[in-house]
Amino acid sequence: MAEERAVSVSEAMTLARQTLEGIRLRVVGEVSEFADKPGYRAAYFTVSDGDASMQCLMWREQYVASGVALRCGTLVEMAGYFSAYAAKGRMQFVVRSLTLAGEGRLRLQVAELARRLEAEGLMRPERKRSLPAYPERIGVVTSPRGKAVHDVLRTLRRRYPLAEILLAGVPVEGADAPDAIVEGLSVVAAASPDVVLLVRGGGSYEDLMPFNNEQVARAVATCPVPVVTGIGHEPDTSIADMVADLRASTPTAAAESAAPSMDELGSALHKTRRSLGRALQHRVQAAEHRVGVLVRRPVFTDCSVLTGPAAQALDQVGIALRRALPERLATDSGRLGRSAADLQRLGPRLIGPARERVERLGRDADRAGSLLLERAEEAVSHAAARLHDLSPVAILGRGYAVCRTAEEATIIRASTQVSAGDRVSVMLGEGRLGCVVESTEKEARNG
Amino acid sequence: MDEPVCPAPDEMNFGDALAELESIVAALESGQLELEESLTRYQRGVALLQALQGKLADAQQKVTALIGELEGEPADSEE
Repeated sequence: MAEERAVSVSEAMTLARQTLEGIRLRVVGEVSEFADKPGYRAAYFTVSDGDASMQCLMWREQYVASGVALRCGTLVEMAGYFSAYAAKGRMQFVVRSLTLAGEGRLRLQVAELARRLEAEGLMRPERKRSLPAYPERIGVVTSPRGKAVHDVLRTLRRRYPLAEILLAGVPVEGADAPDAIVEGLSVVAAASPDVVLLVRGGGSYEDLMPFNNEQVARAVATCPVPVVTGIGHEPDTSIADMVADLRASTPTAAAESAAPSMDELGSALHKTRRSLGRALQHRVQAAEHRVGVLVRRPVFTDCSVLTGPAAQALDQVGIALRRALPERLATDSGRLGRSAADLQRLGPRLIGPARERVERLGRDADRAGSLLLERAEEAVSHAAARLHDLSPVAILGRGYAVCRTAEEATIIRASTQVSAGDRVSVMLGEGRLGCVVESTEKEARNG
Repeated sequence: MDEPVCPAPDEMNFGDALAELESIVAALESGQLELEESLTRYQRGVALLQALQGKLADAQQKVTALIGELEGEPADSEE
């Protein structure tokens, strides 16, 4: 080898540094020493893996930005490069980014799952359902131990004790948690609550991992009932938060979003009561007003408006009537009176002669009647005497007889009416003879 | 007769009763109702109001554990 020129210590260190700074690595190790004093411009710490260790420094700004709080025993993953601190002749690793070991990998996995589920549309805003205003039943899926469940119950009791709580107490961290949470959601949803709260208290990134589980996320996304998540504290956001219908920052906030406040309800009801009363009052007043307007109209205040014309007409007729009747009455009664007087005067004069005549005629009639009677009686007796004389009975009495045929139908006047042997009936003045004709003779009549 | 039978306010759930009450107030405020109808609705409104306020006053939180058992509150509760 050619002869090497000797360099100074500084030059040597610079060469070393230049060489080292080409080595960029990601290193995992456990923190074994840690110094971070406020005045320092960097955090200084040592990481080792049991066999080797190295000095690390991280400029303050970047350390703070990493969000990691280093402690002895913390497993870290660092990205950076080697360098040399000339003054102390020391190699050191300059850390550019720092994460908790394993968490880096976890975060990557979570980010990837989130991307995948988002691509499936499970995080779309349109999917997120609105919560019922007045839930009758509220489901709660959380650990039955610890603060979170009691925070939720207390908040719900204070705000809206009307709602019945259906609780699924499940582990919320550890290997069993994802399956248990899925089952808890299923059992609670089957009891038909109006909303479900999926909550847990604060914890480390790893503690919260069950809520980044794919099965849990799908169970939340497909739950038949709206789901409100309240997982950890701000700013933690899990995948369950992303697919839920509503994300709240804490369990208490989740409970507050699910139930209305009884105090607000009470004052709202008071206002409603006043509105109800006022509305009725207005309605009644409106009706009263309308009636009032009508009542003041002339037709109601002064009834002569209605009756006036008719009354007037009635008066006119009455006047006319009154005017007409009395005159006529006076005239008529006057006439009546005069006629009566005349009648009284004239009456006897008319009657007298007539009466006399009637009496005279009556007497004449009597006389004539008696006379007629006498004459009639005379005529009758005269006629009776003559009748007696003429009577066949009287003739018969003088000795004559009437001869009839046997049937007594025809009177025999001539001998030619009968023949010898005929039967004949002879009526005498007294009694009758039944005879048989012996012979007939014609004889001229004696004249 | 001419209206569907209305459920008793006590038997209605909170949300339904509140919704009916709000609709009654709106109808009354509209001034469109006949006077008799106004009075009838007002009475129904008062019945609903009393039932709602009663529910709030009497309400007791009921907790049913479907899975697991609720353990007592830790000592450092916030109340």
